[in-house]
Amino acid sequence: MTSMTPMLEIQSACKKFSKGTPNEHTALAQLNLTLAQGDFVTVLGSNGAGKSTMFNAVCGNFLLDSGKILLDGKDITFEPEYRRALSIGRLFQDPMKGTAPSLTIEENLALAYSKQKKRSLAFALTRKDRDYFKTELEKFSMDLENRMKTKVGLLSGGQRQVVTLLMSTLVPPKLLLLDEHTAALDPATAEKVMEITNRIVKENKITTMMITHNMKQALETGNRTIMLDSGAVMFDIDARQREQLSVERLVEMYSEKKKEEFATDRVLLSV
Amino acid sequence: MTLLIGSLQLGLIYGVMVLGIYISFRILNIPDLTAEGSFTFGLATAAIFTTAGHPFLGILASLVAGALAGCVTGLLQTKLNIHPVLTGILTMSGLYSINTVVLGGTPNLTLIGKETIFTLAQSAFPMLEREAVKLLMAVLVSVVCTVALVAFFRTRLGLCIRATGDNTDMVKASSINVDRMKCIALALSNGLIALCGGLIAQYQSFADINSGVGILVVGLASVIIGEAFFGKRSVTIGFISAIFGSVVYRYIIAMATKADWFPAYMLKLVSAVIVTLALAIPAIKSMMEVQKIRRGGK
Repeated sequence: MTSMTPMLEIQSACKKFSKGTPNEHTALAQLNLTLAQGDFVTVLGSNGAGKSTMFNAVCGNFLLDSGKILLDGKDITFEPEYRRALSIGRLFQDPMKGTAPSLTIEENLALAYSKQKKRSLAFALTRKDRDYFKTELEKFSMDLENRMKTKVGLLSGGQRQVVTLLMSTLVPPKLLLLDEHTAALDPATAEKVMEITNRIVKENKITTMMITHNMKQALETGNRTIMLDSGAVMFDIDARQREQLSVERLVEMYSEKKKEEFATDRVLLSV
Repeated sequence: MTLLIGSLQLGLIYGVMVLGIYISFRILNIPDLTAEGSFTFGLATAAIFTTAGHPFLGILASLVAGALAGCVTGLLQTKLNIHPVLTGILTMSGLYSINTVVLGGTPNLTLIGKETIFTLAQSAFPMLEREAVKLLMAVLVSVVCTVALVAFFRTRLGLCIRATGDNTDMVKASSINVDRMKCIALALSNGLIALCGGLIAQYQSFADINSGVGILVVGLASVIIGEAFFGKRSVTIGFISAIFGSVVYRYIIAMATKADWFPAYMLKLVSAVIVTLALAIPAIKSMMEVQKIRRGGK
């Protein structure tokens, strides 16, 4: 018996930027990662560890130098960005990125909702759609349901992020990528958005990866935590292991590993 | 009176061109210089068809011709990654030669004595006055175009184009082909501009290779004048204000040409100044704010 196909497979992904210049920088170095269906993975790592680069690679902002990316068993390594977006939802730290400011809330939602519809000359907003958006927005209890004709540019960062979140999950994607999507929000709003995120992910059983710098949040959210370093996975901790892991222990593990590398570097240099 | 009605006719017909400029300038956020070439392209195409005795086909052909020109600009921008302003200049320059070819190597062509959509409409309604028929045609054309555009920009495709000019990242994330959207929008915009060229050729019964010179500034000025009256609100209001701005622009011109002290050749400069001022308002406002704060601080 074969097991379920994994939702996402990244196989020895490599990417160097500014190749052949003094600024050459290895962003991904033989990165391997497999996500099972329904996994909610939190991603840790210091600046430049390759977290966002990994997301960019999965979304298709650039092509890999070598390696493969499979989504739900399908090879998407060379698929253009906009086509991958059909099955991948993504939220950025910057709330401005995910919405079109001069379109109204309902128009933004309509764009996202009709993602998979083929008929492009049908009217974008039907009465039924509006009612559906309204009920969905009501769930957030942020009074957005009464402001559906407001231009998104007039909303606060938190409200825009909630609209973006709803946009990327109205048609549940195969994979949801959250790139520190609560980092630019005030603590109360951040908590609210996180709570909404958890609910949506759970309800729709969406396979999700979330980048965060908050170790506590990383260990408490989802069912698995990975730590990236220098463009590869350093630790991969599953739910069972995570239960016994404290933030302090995680930091220790990180610095131990870093020291080890440093030592080997020194050895290399001294030879 | 003739001047009043004449300006209204011209304003409504040129309004179709302003709709096209509104799409590229306000919705797509690109100042598209292709307009200068595509206007004449439509004018020349319609003129040739009209001399051959097919006025209606000529109007249709001018629309298609403009759309093709827009596609070329779009492809240069998206597939070859050339700067948007430069792509417009390239297409416009290339079109100058093509337009001369279309006109049969001559710089101008007269359609006097040929059947145009205006003369045909006249013979269909013989009881109406000539100017009234022309005015009706102008109203019909501008209303049909506006209504069609308002409907189009409420479809999914229309919404995608609006979002493309607004936030490219978001559009990509919504699984929309940004390149295709830009091409479609530019084709639509230049199609309308060329359609206007075709209408103008038949309206004046005359086609000149230099008709398109300065048309972009005329269009921008009209868009901005319209917005001065209606404000920047929804796209629907934007289209209506574009037509309105075009009419007001023609009245300004009519007044200017009526005044003896004002030579007609100064019109282009006046248009350019109007556009410059309108575009400079935000900068001037913030400069004044800074001055105010500074003075207050002392």
